[in-house]
Amino acid sequence: MTPPVTAAKQGLISCHCCALVSPNPGGKGHPPAACPRCGATLHTRKTNSLARTWSLLIAAFIFYIPANILPIMTSTTLIHTQSDTILSGVIYLIDTGNWPIAAVIFFASVMIPVIKLIVLTGLLVSVHRRSAWKPRERTRLYRITEAIGRWSMIDVYVVTILVALVHLGAIAQVKAGLGAVFFAAVVVISMLAARTFDPRLIWDQQELPNE
Amino acid sequence: MAVIEQGNRLSVVWIIPLIALLIGGWLAYKTISEQGPAITITFQTAEGLQAGKTKIKYKNVELGHVKTISLNKDLSQVVVSAELTRGTEKYLTNQTRFWVVRAHVAADQVSDIGTLFSGAYIGIDPVSTGKPTQNFVGLERPPAVTADTPGRHFVLQAKSLGSLNVGSPVFFRKIKVGQVVEESLSDDGETATIQVFIRAPHDQKVLKNSRFWNAGGIDFTIDASGIKVNTESIITLMLGGISFDIPHTEQRGKIADENQIFMLYESRDNINKKVFQKRIRWLVHFDGSVRGLIPGAPVEFLGLKIGKVVDVRMEYQPKEREFRIPVVLEIEPERIISGDNIPHEDQRRKLMNELVRRGLRAQLKSGNVLTGQLFVEIAIHPQATPAEIDWESHDYPALPTIPQPLEGITNSVAQILTRLQKIPFEQIGKDLGATAKGAKQLVHSDELRASIRALEATLNETQQTMRSIHQMADYLERHPEAILKGKQ
Repeated sequence: MTPPVTAAKQGLISCHCCALVSPNPGGKGHPPAACPRCGATLHTRKTNSLARTWSLLIAAFIFYIPANILPIMTSTTLIHTQSDTILSGVIYLIDTGNWPIAAVIFFASVMIPVIKLIVLTGLLVSVHRRSAWKPRERTRLYRITEAIGRWSMIDVYVVTILVALVHLGAIAQVKAGLGAVFFAAVVVISMLAARTFDPRLIWDQQELPNE
Repeated sequence: MAVIEQGNRLSVVWIIPLIALLIGGWLAYKTISEQGPAITITFQTAEGLQAGKTKIKYKNVELGHVKTISLNKDLSQVVVSAELTRGTEKYLTNQTRFWVVRAHVAADQVSDIGTLFSGAYIGIDPVSTGKPTQNFVGLERPPAVTADTPGRHFVLQAKSLGSLNVGSPVFFRKIKVGQVVEESLSDDGETATIQVFIRAPHDQKVLKNSRFWNAGGIDFTIDASGIKVNTESIITLMLGGISFDIPHTEQRGKIADENQIFMLYESRDNINKKVFQKRIRWLVHFDGSVRGLIPGAPVEFLGLKIGKVVDVRMEYQPKEREFRIPVVLEIEPERIISGDNIPHEDQRRKLMNELVRRGLRAQLKSGNVLTGQLFVEIAIHPQATPAEIDWESHDYPALPTIPQPLEGITNSVAQILTRLQKIPFEQIGKDLGATAKGAKQLVHSDELRASIRALEATLNETQQTMRSIHQMADYLERHPEAILKGKQ
């Protein structure tokens, strides 16, 4: 089967903004051209995709540690003050019999960020090593990662709503902890990392053996 | 030909992980540098304590918190590991004490009710002098005084604790100046040792010759001088208490040293009694009933108490086939003679023998008519039957005795009765009867009547004679010459 024709081979670039296909003025050395229709800068691949993705991924990893160690929520009642991290909250919910909620929180706050970080790391490594392993599956992984990324914010929304609603003075009070800030940072940064990664890079290595 | 576009220089985006690294690093540094010392405290129970939550407070400032609570290997104690804030290292010495503060309701004190709401916390009494250590044994009860309270400790020894326990107040002139901080029993169980703490500036009032007495409850005495009721305060009625002062007979001495040992007397009156060292025991035998003689009854000489009765026994003499009652007396010779002049053994024997020869005897006497109590009086009875001290008897030398005064009266009465019995009342009666009869006969006889008539005649004649003489006396008075010249 003949390999499909790529726009890069033809010297064409598709504008990422208005999708107009226009000729690529030059290769390396030329300054980036602008789209004739909408004026957005034309790139064959996302700018600096690997570097940006790596840097954001590393930042997400670093922030993930305090996100799990510091408490994300402190609830104070008349007799009792309780600080909870993500995991201790999950355990508390399991202990009190709230299986479904515990499962949701565990999935959204623990599994998804971890999966995202691992998948992105794997994709980056595979691109660097120019691996030919199952490019379609890798692309599928990428698409899933990008789609589910935002759902990790569920936990942050829970904390925000509790803080806003439970305002009973001395009887009961909920305060957000520093862990929530770091967790939100992890989610945002990993979402950005997924966006800066250019999945076309997965397919780029396929061209090389054919050169 | 595909080109993977990559910037040649380092992208600006690397700032983000750099910032992340800085923030993470700073967090880690903050956590580690703010970590204070970790300690372990052992308690008997973990009641009220919660891992990760219970705080350690000093003057209501949080100094640390409990991390974990577990049991030690043989399950005998609770091991609490706690972390304190930075800067407390110099207060972790072997003099520092930890205890659990829980709500406490007692007769004189209601405290720490707040812990019912906020949960118990661990109190600390930090002392910076001492050997640094990381492992502590927690107290089961809050200490009576913390190390920073000014004042001094003193040690009291007593035969029994009475109603005292830790926290019982100490009074001086009815002002509370301190409290009992510790109590313990000596190893042989004979004495109780009580440690008291007196607050400054009142600790200056404890002198070397101060006497402490147990002021708990009510002092109630009835004696010859009347009824006396004495109590320190309502608190001591319930909790007991200790008072101190110098005895009436002594002057103010020097201020006592810290941890000086004092004796705890039973009551205020006891402190004024002189304390005598030397005691000599004697045996006395009483033959009659000793009902009303109890151990503790006084022994008196010339009206002064010189000792007391220690024991009242009974023994059977098989030889004489009779019962005897040996009574053990304990005499304090210092009451009679001052300590230096007490004679030695041989001289004492000679002295006592001489006294007994002169009539020194022991005698039971009635002390209190109401209660029927007896006491022993030692006095010189010159008319007593001769007797000697039996120096070799049983355990103690035996003083001779004379019977009770009441016994003497009974004896006399018996004697009178015997004499009365000897009088021949019957005979006297008979004689009287005969005499009466004779008299009656005489009265009714004729001779008597005749005599009476003759007597009557004589009386009339005598009357006339008297009348004549009377007339003559009158005439002579008017005519005294009639004696010479006759009647004309």
